[in-house]
Amino acid sequence: MEMVFIAAALIIGLGALGAGIGFGLLGGKLLESTARQPEMANQLQTKTFIMAGLLDAVPMIGVGIAMYLIFVVAG
Amino acid sequence: MARSGHRLNRVPLLRWLVIESTAIVVMALLWATQGRLAGYSALVGGLIFLVPNTWFAYQVYKVEGARNMSRMVGNLFRAESVKIALTAVFFAAVFNLMEPIHVPALLFTFAVMVVMGAALRWFMRPRPQR
Repeated sequence: MEMVFIAAALIIGLGALGAGIGFGLLGGKLLESTARQPEMANQLQTKTFIMAGLLDAVPMIGVGIAMYLIFVVAG
Repeated sequence: MARSGHRLNRVPLLRWLVIESTAIVVMALLWATQGRLAGYSALVGGLIFLVPNTWFAYQVYKVEGARNMSRMVGNLFRAESVKIALTAVFFAAVFNLMEPIHVPALLFTFAVMVVMGAALRWFMRPRPQR
């Protein structure tokens, strides 16, 4: 039973780690690029928004599976 | 900050919402061929995706323009954290409060909507206002 909780913790933790690193890089690059070319700010914001959607797809599905493990398999 | 009523980008928020809602209903109808419970679970799975994502899109485009970019990045980080937290809370609530539930229908619809949402934002991206 404990293994299920460890598995859920790994899924959520590693998903959050990946998403955190990705969002940090994304936000940092957005600020850097906007400082270089402020006239491109709108396009860069749109691209960041689209990339954010792609970036968090796997962690979001991971959260769903982890909740299933915690509340249905272990519960 | 961009004045209210004067947007720099035309964000098709309502269009995304309509297309995603339609896709959820279609998925729920397809799953309903397996039984009423499966259809209902698919609908719930789609809604778990739809609510946090609509809020995320609204938060990210609340501020626009080069001068507000650091505020926009702060909003992006906050919105992402809240989106993941909301998704976890919704899943926990569904698994605890809804008995019985068709888990494959719920998770499959959610996963399909996550991928479809990203693709939709790619193909129907916000356009700069002229």
